Amino acid sequence: MSFVRLVIVLITFLTLTGCENAADNMLPSSEDKRPVVEQGVPGTSVGQIALDFTIPDTLNNPVTMSNELVGSDGVVLYFTMWCPVCDSHMSHMRAHIIPNYPNIKFFFIDYVSGSVTIARSAQISNGYTGTSYSVLVDTDQSVLTAYRGTMGTAVVIDASGIVQMNEDYKDGTKINSILENL
Amino acid sequence: MMYRFMVALLAGAIYIYSPGVWAASCCGGGSSTSLILPKFSKSMVDLSFDFENYDGFWNQDGFVTPDPPESDLNQYRFNTGYAHRLGSNWQASLVVPYVWNQNTYAGLDSRTNDFGDTQVNLWYEAFETVMCVWKVNEWEDLMPAAYFGASLTLPTGTSPYNDVANSFDITGRGFYRLDANLLLDKTIYPWTATLLLSYGIYQERPVNREYGNYVEPYEKKLGDRQLASLSFGYTQFLDSMDSLTYTLAYSYLNEDQGTINGKTNYTSGFKKNAIGFTVTFSTLDNDWIFKGTYNHALDGDDYGRNFPITDIFTIGVTRVFR
Repeated sequence: MSFVRLVIVLITFLTLTGCENAADNMLPSSEDKRPVVEQGVPGTSVGQIALDFTIPDTLNNPVTMSNELVGSDGVVLYFTMWCPVCDSHMSHMRAHIIPNYPNIKFFFIDYVSGSVTIARSAQISNGYTGTSYSVLVDTDQSVLTAYRGTMGTAVVIDASGIVQMNEDYKDGTKINSILENL
Repeated sequence: MMYRFMVALLAGAIYIYSPGVWAASCCGGGSSTSLILPKFSKSMVDLSFDFENYDGFWNQDGFVTPDPPESDLNQYRFNTGYAHRLGSNWQASLVVPYVWNQNTYAGLDSRTNDFGDTQVNLWYEAFETVMCVWKVNEWEDLMPAAYFGASLTLPTGTSPYNDVANSFDITGRGFYRLDANLLLDKTIYPWTATLLLSYGIYQERPVNREYGNYVEPYEKKLGDRQLASLSFGYTQFLDSMDSLTYTLAYSYLNEDQGTINGKTNYTSGFKKNAIGFTVTFSTLDNDWIFKGTYNHALDGDDYGRNFPITDIFTIGVTRVFR
């Protein structure tokens, strides 16, 4: 019984002593806790006016998000740190999403390389040199921070500049359904 | 001597079997190790320190892909383990890791730390006496020591579904997992062979938050997990009658694709093949064991899929109480 007591004590310790994360994982919630956000104002949540930005691509050409919306059905941003999860998402997007939406602009945003030169090198070594998408370089993580992104975050912005999605790419089902309706 | 020999072999083998080999500081690491108590001992305390260095990854197609230039990605884990004998054939153990993620890219530097996922193990020993032999005289001498076990992984680490700022904060996967384990161990002095087979199933869980942002709730399940490891060891007895045991192991780890809302998530799942080498020093008069392990992912195309390529260095000490 002493071992059982040890396990109980330890779990209690992990749960109570500053380990809120452990408690969240051990008793996960299915409650919808999305905050109500004001629609139609500048922001990064669904329904808000997407924040504009200008950052370079890996050929050092400046890319302005609002300019990319002109004449297109929308823009997709995907934040990558060139990791296995990112690659699985990006390869899935490249094979199953991008070909279906020729009038939507797709941008993979490198937020870890810190320079155009290094980002270009990472892009090439990871095999993402296609022409149906571009790799942008967020040297100071300003876009990442503004959009509250991290590895795997996908953002969909419609032609009128409204955010339609801002969350993890997961299996691509949700982004596909949103792009179908743009 | 036979007793000490068993202790050293098991201690060495356990380190090579460490499921920490799948850990990934960018996508959910911090897995703990398993402990096995030798026959006729009452309890065991085990402390170990892992240093895991990342050097590229296998992509979805199994091709080796480099990390971004000028990046240095590392995870450190301090594992505290305790094993306890519950009965003549039953034992249980608990391992709690504490994890430090240190990731440096050319344009970003991150250092975070927290507890990893905890593992609770229950083992049944399907043998009554020490199964090690010096010489094979009859058929029964070839019978291995068989352990049947169950391991429960508790999601005590920081996962993507917690209130975290980004992926660098992650030290656990956020899911319960139940593994069924079979360990076969046969020693004919001074040689030993060990086989571990493990099959794990994750529990589906609701997710309503990703990296600190609340999202539309959904159900997520990771894929079933298979681990197989085969090792061979040789023990050298020193003049002092202390012993050194050298163990070489090969391990295969696979995780099937998971599901989101019941549908297959084709971006998930992974595979990894690795080899490991452990040196174990066991003292004569007491039950102190010191270990060092090097675990190396086989970094060629098709030896893995959708997983980081890493080297893991482990040092540890075990105190066994009889």
